[in-house]
Amino acid sequence: MALELNVNGVDYHLEVNPRLRLLDVLRDHLGLTGTKEGCGEGECGACTIIMDGVAINSCLLLAHQARGKKILTVESLAQDGELDRLQKAFIDNGAVQCGYCTPGMLMSCKALLMRNPNPSEEEIRIAIEGNLCRCTGYTKIIRAVKDVVKK
Amino acid sequence: MEEMLFKAPNDIEELVTALKDADANTYLISGGTDLIIKLRKNRIYSGTIIDMKGIRSLEYIREESEHIKLGANTTFTQIINSPVLQQHAACLAQAAGQIGSTQIRNVATVGGNIGNAFAGADCIPALMAMDAQVKVICSKGETYVKNVADIILGSGKNSLRKDEAIIEIQFPIQGAGGRTAFGKIGSRSRVTIAKINIAAFVRLDGSKKRIEEARIFLGALGPRAFRSEIVEEAMVGRTISPELFNSFAAALTAQVDAAIAGRSSQEYKREAIRGLADEVFCKLFGDLSQEVKQDER
Repeated sequence: MALELNVNGVDYHLEVNPRLRLLDVLRDHLGLTGTKEGCGEGECGACTIIMDGVAINSCLLLAHQARGKKILTVESLAQDGELDRLQKAFIDNGAVQCGYCTPGMLMSCKALLMRNPNPSEEEIRIAIEGNLCRCTGYTKIIRAVKDVVKK
Repeated sequence: MEEMLFKAPNDIEELVTALKDADANTYLISGGTDLIIKLRKNRIYSGTIIDMKGIRSLEYIREESEHIKLGANTTFTQIINSPVLQQHAACLAQAAGQIGSTQIRNVATVGGNIGNAFAGADCIPALMAMDAQVKVICSKGETYVKNVADIILGSGKNSLRKDEAIIEIQFPIQGAGGRTAFGKIGSRSRVTIAKINIAAFVRLDGSKKRIEEARIFLGALGPRAFRSEIVEEAMVGRTISPELFNSFAAALTAQVDAAIAGRSSQEYKREAIRGLADEVFCKLFGDLSQEVKQDER
């Protein structure tokens, strides 16, 4: 079934089986493998992307449900070879260890900052409550977001 | 790969048309956060999906002639952020705030939550406490209104026919003296599935001292949320006092014993609900008096 999808500012005309999730199409049809699959049931947040300005789990949305929406994946963050300041802050604060949760974590934080450039610690914690990280203990991730806010 | 049929109605009229061919293998999807997991778990790769979420006209929160009306596609994030609901249906806003994660609340919808009929759903007892009704449309284009309790059969089953869809949820604005609260216990404090949840509505008399009316609903203690007469009897006609809190907590424990007697979770839940009693009591009456709550627990 034909699907028109706008991902990272690019319009795609695709042929997609309606049973596929947005995650499957991003990774397998568009080769945007920055978005990860962890649990596949909305617990871990590794598949988080931004749709029409809010963070969502791409494993819990059918690709066809994203028709006409504006999708942003982690690949959209770096511009002209330059990392986004949020990505830089993650690196500077040691908020990346194994890295598997990082794309989803970045997109949850990005969605928060797009809506609220000056979030409280509580708001940061709620924004990433759906993203599991088994390495950092979250403290460094929260510090990285605060770092962006400060600058 | 087997193909599913995907229907994407843009408005109610197209929804009615899409419902005409609905059969046992037709699935209504809204936010998708429950259905997609179910389809994958049960290896359902064929049939028809009708995407409710594309109907933008079903995304609203309206105050209309003494009622509040929610479009079925209203997300939990929209419920949390609604000043109207914070004011008139605090229990619903509180319940929505404790559902899933930010990502889930951004897409999951109130209509979907009802249709999914999960025993531990957080919005359902809150809607029941608000005396909510659901507007359903069928493939003939006719609409009817049903009580939430009549739609939810429990354990993931609803009473809707395959050619019916939830389009609106409505409940009366509770006038003077009305107060509501929601509380939940799960295995952790956030992003958790309820082991017990409570939604409470009470109406106080003019002096704000005596409870005139109470509707208390409990979830996750059976196949579906239910109203607790035991707890209501312990509250109605009483004045707000530390003794009332003790009766409230004791009645909740008695209700747990009655609901899940002999279940392995009974011992845990009959104690745990006392903590929840504390939280809900404070949310309901915390502003009235510092001495209302007794710390002898």
